[in-house]
Amino acid sequence: MTIDNTPVELVTLTIDDIEVQVPKGTLIIRAAEQLGVQVPRFCDHPLLDPVAACRACLVEIEGQAKPQPSCAMTVAEGMKVRTQVSSVMADEAQKGVMEFLLINHPLDCPVCDKGGECPLQNQAMTNGRGESRFDGEKREFEKPINVSDRERCVSCARCTRFADQVAGDPMIALLERGSQQQVGISDDQPFDSYFSGNTIQICPVGALTSAKYRFRSRPFDLVSVPTTCEHCASGCSLRTDIRRGNVMRRLAWDDPQVNEEWNCDKGRFAFPYVQEGRLNQPLVRGEDGLLHPASWTEAIDVAAKGLAAASGATAVLAGGRHTVEDAYAISKFARAVLGTDDVDFRSRPHSTEETQFLSSVVAGSGLGVTYADLEKAAHVVLVAFEPEDESPMIQLRLRKAVRRGRTKVTAITSHVTSGNKKLNATVIATAAGHEVSALSELALDANTIILVGERAASVTGLLTAATKKAKESGAKLAWVPRRAGDRGAVDAGLLPGLLPNGNSLTDSSAREKAADIWNVENNTLPFAAGRDFGAIVHAAVNGELKALLITSVDVEDTQHSASTLQAIENTPFVVSLEIRPSSITELANVVLPVAVVTEKSGTFIDWEGRPRNFGQAIREHNKLTDGRVLAMIADAMDVLLGQQDVAQLRAELAQFAAPTNRVDAPSHGADVPNGLTLSTWNQLIDDGALQEGEPFLAATSRNVIAGLNSKTAAAHSIAEGDLIEISTSLGSITVEAIFVDGAENTVWLPTNSGESKVRTNLGAAHGNIVTIKRGGGQ
Amino acid sequence: MTFTETTWNEAKELAGRYPHSRSALLPMLHLVQSVEGLVSSDGIALCADVLDLATAEVAAVATFYTMYKRHNTGKHHVGVCTNTMCGLLGGDAIWNAISSDLNTGHDETSEDGKITLERIECQAACTHAPVVTLDWEFFDDATVDGVRKALSDLREGKEVKSTRGPVIKGLQASERLLAGFDDDEFDAPAIDEKMLAGLHRAREVGQTLPSSEV
Ligand code: SF4
Ligand code: SF4
Ligand code: FES
Ligand code: FES
Repeated sequence: MTIDNTPVELVTLTIDDIEVQVPKGTLIIRAAEQLGVQVPRFCDHPLLDPVAACRACLVEIEGQAKPQPSCAMTVAEGMKVRTQVSSVMADEAQKGVMEFLLINHPLDCPVCDKGGECPLQNQAMTNGRGESRFDGEKREFEKPINVSDRERCVSCARCTRFADQVAGDPMIALLERGSQQQVGISDDQPFDSYFSGNTIQICPVGALTSAKYRFRSRPFDLVSVPTTCEHCASGCSLRTDIRRGNVMRRLAWDDPQVNEEWNCDKGRFAFPYVQEGRLNQPLVRGEDGLLHPASWTEAIDVAAKGLAAASGATAVLAGGRHTVEDAYAISKFARAVLGTDDVDFRSRPHSTEETQFLSSVVAGSGLGVTYADLEKAAHVVLVAFEPEDESPMIQLRLRKAVRRGRTKVTAITSHVTSGNKKLNATVIATAAGHEVSALSELALDANTIILVGERAASVTGLLTAATKKAKESGAKLAWVPRRAGDRGAVDAGLLPGLLPNGNSLTDSSAREKAADIWNVENNTLPFAAGRDFGAIVHAAVNGELKALLITSVDVEDTQHSASTLQAIENTPFVVSLEIRPSSITELANVVLPVAVVTEKSGTFIDWEGRPRNFGQAIREHNKLTDGRVLAMIADAMDVLLGQQDVAQLRAELAQFAAPTNRVDAPSHGADVPNGLTLSTWNQLIDDGALQEGEPFLAATSRNVIAGLNSKTAAAHSIAEGDLIEISTSLGSITVEAIFVDGAENTVWLPTNSGESKVRTNLGAAHGNIVTIKRGGGQ
Repeated sequence: MTFTETTWNEAKELAGRYPHSRSALLPMLHLVQSVEGLVSSDGIALCADVLDLATAEVAAVATFYTMYKRHNTGKHHVGVCTNTMCGLLGGDAIWNAISSDLNTGHDETSEDGKITLERIECQAACTHAPVVTLDWEFFDDATVDGVRKALSDLREGKEVKSTRGPVIKGLQASERLLAGFDDDEFDAPAIDEKMLAGLHRAREVGQTLPSSEV
């Protein structure tokens, strides 16, 4: 981290007769905070531009005839400010404004969601009059927008400024004027923003409420626990509010280094999976071929025996959703207990080039490029990465940087998206699979940051090119994975050939050290690098494996779902650690229920490489972590790993020193596809398994369409709005064609939305060749 | 309704008249109102499209200013200033008279669809109070009888002139002028001595504007 040493120019002023020095440009309201003086406020928000819309913060300034809004005025040398503490004028002005604000306010606190945590309620008490003098009729509104109570609105414009400034989705606005002024949307454009939930949180009154949480609870019934979001690698700090063992809601928590005070709607609303449809008991497949509930002792015993019997032909498929502690436990279990290096967390498409890239550049590299770096960079290049869908906090941070006018964004992607429009990005429209030359041609310098996304793995040569480009130009490079556990999995060594913290398995001293830490004989650890996820699946399909341990894998994510299922089916013994029944459950021999993040403590490593620790939010469910379950299986296999609780695993992982011999950086040449290619990534809100059970959230997902360039469409006699069929040898998808401003000879599909199930139906990855044709007309 | 190609082109022309195209929103709303007699959702969508704004942003502006009508209007718009100056000098009486003649209230349209009536705020024309506006052209020093006569002429389709010259052509024509088109088809309103009295007096006593420096 670099420390900014530029001297700060200070201004001296007095507030309530107390002298205070603050940096030039500080708002009076903030300067007062330094003294512990709380000036009332509604529209003021440190992360939004000042508007002085509500007038709650009036203070007296010597020499000015009228009270002034302290949230919009900056300090000046020698200024004499008097707040309500020492000025009758300020106090009366504030009380007067409060009285005005309450004139049209329904005062329905007893039935309002905000009651008990409401800035209006609180400040009406501290800075208002006890009794209302108003006995006229208050305004009333119908409720066409289902979650808005417009009569409660104090027209502070926080919600509209957030939507416009922070998210770049100005679909809500203050309509009408005077006492009819109200927050609204236009009839034909709903407030479809990935970030809409933030407006609920920052509304200082109960005018915007959550459809899900509405009338459900009271703040004083809730136990609030700081947590980390499990849905992506942005690493948002959240606050999870629990009532009697149930998650009632989740809010964005303030973390200036990471998510500031925001989060996305997925992180906020996608939590019903914690409660609904869980697996609660171990299941063991009986003689009759059916799964039967079993005791833990029995299930662990069967799992241990089965795995032991398969010794020498076992593999581990791990998924990207684990905490780093659990990932480490799995990594260790594979090597030290099963003696296999056939282990990989990358259920989504991947490559050997990526394995090398992750092992050499990412693993154990600690904190690299940070959010703060993004904000300071002169130039940020997005390669095969769509921040709005794949890491929303990067989107917001980049937008903030761009709005300040110091940062410019370039995107190498198939077409102009709504996300990169909001970043004012220069889009280098590049057909999927052709990114290498586009990147190589860019002139970059040391003030540049290159962000490369998950789908780079399926473009041969791209990760090599990105690594080289960064080295040559001095630009910084960061890999932004999509899942919360991806980065931790790399650090934990959940890749073939990779031990924890970037150590190479084939480095004999590193292997010795690992055996030492794990307390096993050196020769029980595998010597040669194993197979990656795809190769494991391939081997299993061919009947080469005797047992599979699967944890946290969604077959819908894998390159070709049918092959993955086939692989599981062809493997004689399968142990599955799961949270909810899935298509894997159907095929497993032993199913062991495990805890979701809310039920355990742990750490996610966000894309920056920053550890995001969190504590256990729900204790009532009594669920075991993956680490604990694996320790029990190991125990039954006569390998003693200890308790493997979270603290122990964390401490043990820390014993792995940084590698002395790093894996070599990848050096793959480009392999440019010849033909029309598929561009694809997952939309933020899609059919992902952890988003189940939240209809309000699902309703905000984007339309499922195929995006293509009009010339490419014309070449295939496709008109806008036509249904088109996109196919590979494995299957096809039929959706509506929409013209996009983008590269020719490429067609975009969301990876896992509605009709567009790319993995299941096409078995394809980003950059693969597909064919398109008109299908079905309008 | 769908707008014609001409309207789309005129809207784009407006957008091109400003360094920041967004500044064209006010005239553009007048333009769509000149076509439809109101700012409909389609009109809002057109502005949003041309200026690359969200429709909510356009709606926020269209609903803020009272000159943009979100409901149908009559052929003519008649505004009666009822602010203090005009109100006291006869504006209230004019309002009461014609509102009951037409059986039409504030921001309503007469049954025959000819007149939309509105109580308006100070037009900065207090010199000639009470003032009435006919399709936003001034009808100075108005009287109940004078306004009654003008309105009945308008309803019968006879020519009516503003006291400052221009012929009253209907709200939609005026909206087009406000949008910044067809300037030359309108007569420039006259300026008279009464309007300049303040200026002359200021010069007499040597008053100037305060310096803009602070
Ligand atoms: S709805 Fe809430 S946030 Fe939006 S303007 Fe009204 S009070 Fe402010
Ligand atoms: S941006 Fe990512 S980490 Fe943050 S709330 Fe959304 S899904 Fe969770
Ligand atoms: S907080 Fe200052 S005007 Fe609203
Ligand atoms: S009060 Fe009517 S024009 Fe000023």
